[in-house]
Amino acid sequence: MATLTFPLSRIEGHARVVIEVHGGEVVSASFQAMEMRGFGYFVQGTPAEQMPVIVPRICGVCSTAHHVAAVKALEDAYGITPPPLARKIRELLLLGQLIQNQATSLFIFTMPDRLNVDSIFSLSEEEAAGAVQHGIPIRALQVRKTGTDLITLAGGQFIHPIKAVIGGVSSGIPAEAAETMRNRLVEALPVACDLFSYYWETSLALRERIGTWGDDAPACYIASTGDIHPNYDSDSLHVQAPDGTIHDRFSARNFRDYLSYQETEYSYAGQTSYRGEVLRANSLARINMTCIMATPRADQFLARFQKMYGQPAHAILLFDLCRGIELVYALERAIEILAEPLDGEVTLVPHEPRDGEGYGLVEAPRGPLIHHYTIEKGLISQAEFIIPTVHNMLAIERALRVAANRYITPELVNLELERAVGRVVRAFDPCIACATH
Amino acid sequence: MIRFAVLQLSGCAGCEVSLLNAGAWLDRYRLVYMPLVISAYDVPEVDILLVSGGIRTDEDLYNLRRAVGRSRQVVAVGTCAISGGVANLGNRDDVRELFLSQAERLHVPRLLPRCQPIDAVTHVDRYLPGCPPTPELFMAVLFDDPNFKPGKSVCQECGRAKSKEMRPERLAGSQQGSISPDICLINQGYLCIGSSTRGGCRAICTIAGHPCVGCRGPSDAFIEKESEAWFVSIQRVFASLTDIPAAEIDAALRSPQLALFLFQFSDYAGGGSPRPKEKVL
Repeated sequence: MATLTFPLSRIEGHARVVIEVHGGEVVSASFQAMEMRGFGYFVQGTPAEQMPVIVPRICGVCSTAHHVAAVKALEDAYGITPPPLARKIRELLLLGQLIQNQATSLFIFTMPDRLNVDSIFSLSEEEAAGAVQHGIPIRALQVRKTGTDLITLAGGQFIHPIKAVIGGVSSGIPAEAAETMRNRLVEALPVACDLFSYYWETSLALRERIGTWGDDAPACYIASTGDIHPNYDSDSLHVQAPDGTIHDRFSARNFRDYLSYQETEYSYAGQTSYRGEVLRANSLARINMTCIMATPRADQFLARFQKMYGQPAHAILLFDLCRGIELVYALERAIEILAEPLDGEVTLVPHEPRDGEGYGLVEAPRGPLIHHYTIEKGLISQAEFIIPTVHNMLAIERALRVAANRYITPELVNLELERAVGRVVRAFDPCIACATH
Repeated sequence: MIRFAVLQLSGCAGCEVSLLNAGAWLDRYRLVYMPLVISAYDVPEVDILLVSGGIRTDEDLYNLRRAVGRSRQVVAVGTCAISGGVANLGNRDDVRELFLSQAERLHVPRLLPRCQPIDAVTHVDRYLPGCPPTPELFMAVLFDDPNFKPGKSVCQECGRAKSKEMRPERLAGSQQGSISPDICLINQGYLCIGSSTRGGCRAICTIAGHPCVGCRGPSDAFIEKESEAWFVSIQRVFASLTDIPAAEIDAALRSPQLALFLFQFSDYAGGGSPRPKEKVL
């Protein structure tokens, strides 16, 4: 038996893929998360109100989602509803994160796979010719930074936000600051559209070269979004069957009736399945459940996507294209919101802390995130973090087996396998810091 | 061109994200290793090695030792590399026992008994605290910028007015109630430790209305001392601005979110000697 180990890069965190081969047959393919800090253990005993400051540190990439999920879990426990303006400002926060994340995933993590280089930052002169021509490094950083700046405006701190508080947000956004931010987003939108169009072209070329969009069986999809257009503040999770019908809708509180979780000895991250089936979360799941984006440029991209690949689409590399559609949407939607008044109205309702249980659900860039807290004497006695990347673990491994079978034959191991492993994993954009927490 | 690398140990990648926001290094320095954005599997010889995250697994330890040998200058970046950060909360005995007995897996890197800062095992030339350090701070440390002038403390950079009249009698929860825009958060009853925290972050949190939890660590006034000196001093700050009972403050000062600050005192985490202030930005 031969064991092939592939260290991974251009994803968040430490992970590797291990493929076992016997007599030219692929025996197994495992995705191994290799770090662990123990948030579920060490937050026990923490005063509940400190969670919104502590849990963003689970992940500096997904921090905003954790921040908002923590606040929502506590609001659920205390039985309060934030005012409309606060929800709007939280939407801006999540849009900022979506911009930052999708721009990073597209232009920094997966663009190099299209250009056949190691990174957009360390190009040799030859390699750089194509990338520089399109100004990729500088423009990629420009687009993702508008996302970070939006988080800063709506969230106070730029990586680990502080402005979502139990009962709302701590303040509104003054008109002048909103206008400045809006102008920056208006400038970034065409840059993002150009980069994404170029990304789409290079993806088509990649498809041509490798002969597949990532062949794998259809799957079930999970997301927490609107029925018609995106809504990242929905109060239910949806599971879509491979044929596109919605199978189940359930609240965060009832997730255990639908999702089962198991741990493995080879990874610090567990795996979720849906009634025994492989699940997929992240961009493709949301786009498969979306009729329209409801913003003009994003809808042009969506129409093209649906025409070319149908709905639901199942090929793995299409996750990446969906991220681009969402990037454009997030920029356009944030531009819309920032034109509305975001100051003057109430942003916060008072609350009375009490013991009990709370669930906070947020659609993070990687899929539905749930925080579940039990509070005793004002302290967290138990905390559970239901992480989107964990929903994708079985799907990642299944797709890795497909790729392994494609490139491993009794005669030889095609060296394209290493690149294929990278492409498969990056399509799911896993976050290891979150998955292991 | 100066070559630099970023080694991420067990952390959250927030420092890396912040560095990406500080795009100005792009045309001046050559980034040769940073697995988050580059497919390169080994640290080459570099002029500057930025290390983020704490040492949590045996693999962290191995990677750190190997990388340090190839670097001319080592910079500990972020609260985790300097103190273990929030992950240090897992070092409490009861949590640690539970954690190590339940979380260990068979076929992946082994969890070490404690989460450690990087200077527990290697020399460090410079420290850049912050959770995460702002892009401005990254640029200042990378370019060793003489024009970068941080305030002595977060308090000094904050600009909220202190009041002799407004004297709260109880601590407000950090999530309780609305915040007056221009008045010192301590006067409003919040446990803000910006008066003892290093400046340089431009007081983003306190200006936005959240009490400082001290992620930048002790200011020069405290950094070469032990934690006890700080406990005494912060009580004096609250006594001068509030009528909150000392015992209430004392208990709150030991609450988990202040782990970001307190563990940066070398004695608080149990061991090590204080960091000399000239090494800390």
